[in-house]
Amino acid sequence: MSKLQNRSLKRFVQYAALVLGCSIPVYYFILSQLWQYELNEHNIVLTAKAVREDSFLIIGAVTGLTVLFFGLLLAGLVLLNRRLGRKLWTPFYDSLSRIRTFDLQQHKQIRFADTDIDEFAELNTNLDKLIGSAISAYTQQKEFADNASHELQTPLAIVQSKLDLLLQSRPLTQEQYDLIEDAHKALTRVGRINKNLLLLARIDNNRYGEATSIALTTLLQTTLEDFEPFLKERQMAVGAKLDEPVTVQGNRELVTILVHNLLSNAIRHSAAGAAIFVQLSPGLLEFRNAGRVPLHTGRLFQRFGTVSSETPGTGLGLALVKQVADRYGWTVAYHFENGQHIFSLRF
Amino acid sequence: MRVVFRMFSKSLCSFGVMKILIVEDEPDLAASIGAYLSDEHYRCEFAADYATALEKIDLYAYDCILLDLMLPGGSGLKLLEELRAQQKQDGVIIISAKDAIEDKVAGLQTGADDYLAKPFHLPELAARVHSLIRRKQFGTTNVIEQNELKIDLLAKTVTVEDREVVLTKKEYDLLLLFVSNRNKVISKSAIAEQLSGDMADMFDSYDFIYAHVKNLKRKLQEAGYGNYLKTLYGTGYKWVI
Repeated sequence: MSKLQNRSLKRFVQYAALVLGCSIPVYYFILSQLWQYELNEHNIVLTAKAVREDSFLIIGAVTGLTVLFFGLLLAGLVLLNRRLGRKLWTPFYDSLSRIRTFDLQQHKQIRFADTDIDEFAELNTNLDKLIGSAISAYTQQKEFADNASHELQTPLAIVQSKLDLLLQSRPLTQEQYDLIEDAHKALTRVGRINKNLLLLARIDNNRYGEATSIALTTLLQTTLEDFEPFLKERQMAVGAKLDEPVTVQGNRELVTILVHNLLSNAIRHSAAGAAIFVQLSPGLLEFRNAGRVPLHTGRLFQRFGTVSSETPGTGLGLALVKQVADRYGWTVAYHFENGQHIFSLRF
Repeated sequence: MRVVFRMFSKSLCSFGVMKILIVEDEPDLAASIGAYLSDEHYRCEFAADYATALEKIDLYAYDCILLDLMLPGGSGLKLLEELRAQQKQDGVIIISAKDAIEDKVAGLQTGADDYLAKPFHLPELAARVHSLIRRKQFGTTNVIEQNELKIDLLAKTVTVEDREVVLTKKEYDLLLLFVSNRNKVISKSAIAEQLSGDMADMFDSYDFIYAHVKNLKRKLQEAGYGNYLKTLYGTGYKWVI
């Protein structure tokens, strides 16, 4: 083990010493040769002019040599630095690429390669710790969501049953009945939210393993049929342009939820008597419905991102869509065009 | 905690009093179910843990067992396996907080007749119990008769004085819900849940219920059936007989 900086510094010092060491005999040799040559040529008697010439010559030679050696030194340093750097930083780039592929959702701990450099070893140890605690916090949170929604089902069932019983008591005034019915309504909503939270937690926890080939065209047709009574109820028309056969790889239950949520989203946010368009082509599924103003896209696909008093849904429908899409590497997007809300799914 | 309801005594001797075993460790929920179901036709018994349930199943035969899956002392599925291994034909409806498809499939494959996820409406449970008991009791000729009204559960046809009343699927489901919850007040939200099934979470307005109930009422009255379906408190309904 040695310090990163010491390593490179040591090599640089070694190289510089070597170059300087080599230059001493070379300087000496060349200067003495020059001196000898001058003595012979001028018969020892040195005129003031000769002295001047000599010094000019020597200065010129020394400058040239220095430049030469400096160039050598520089080129060597650059080359060395590049080679050493590549070798020295390998563990760092290695760790970096491993972190880059890390996905918290898959909660797989990263194995870092062993290194004999202090800083990198310390970095890896700490990254290891950090990732470990992130994974455990994430797992705990997911389990918590799962367990919490699960534990809520029974008390919800109790409240529901008590309300159903209360409804049977006599005499019941209109006011009391309305109170019970209001409580019922709120309870139903809590139940739905809880159910969707459970679904999200279950997807998070990878409880939906099996992916099969699903005929999306058929699935859309049956979903549209399922919605038929509700569409009729609201006097809405559906324009469907479905290419066939389009298939996707995924879990049937999840893909059904995705299609169901996108469609019901379009229905729910349309006025009675409006029309909805569904278009399916290989790799693209689009739902369009008329709208006046674009939606705020910021929190559209986040859990409880769209809850408001005007949209009394669970606030989880689109989050579920996104979660399913993410799971299979599909992209779901929203844009507003020509007075239409368009939700598109690319797979 | 074991609660045993004995709120009926006089009509026990009349034709078939159905015995129902409620296997549920949550005493509040068990008591509610018992109170709602118990009448002159049903008698409810309770088991709050695995051992008690096993003992009761060994000793008696029940027309219907309402089975929670997570019990102190063992799993409900295990109990179900035990029951089927003994070749007992008791009808079983699983009532569980688990509502994933695989849980349902596992339950039905182990031999349950029906699966109802918590939380549920009591009228919905009553309808399931009613239809299960009828299925078990009257295998091939399963006809509910009420005065001049006849509902053939197998053919899914409804007749009044031998004249067929043509109902939509939703109206038929509604009629069954009412008939199996007679003399009980059923709220709008319970009906919505029953009518829309999985779609319930998509629609917030209960307006569509009115249309269905109104149509059902009209069709029955046109066929000459008495006005048994009463509207209560504006939005609740009661099948009075």
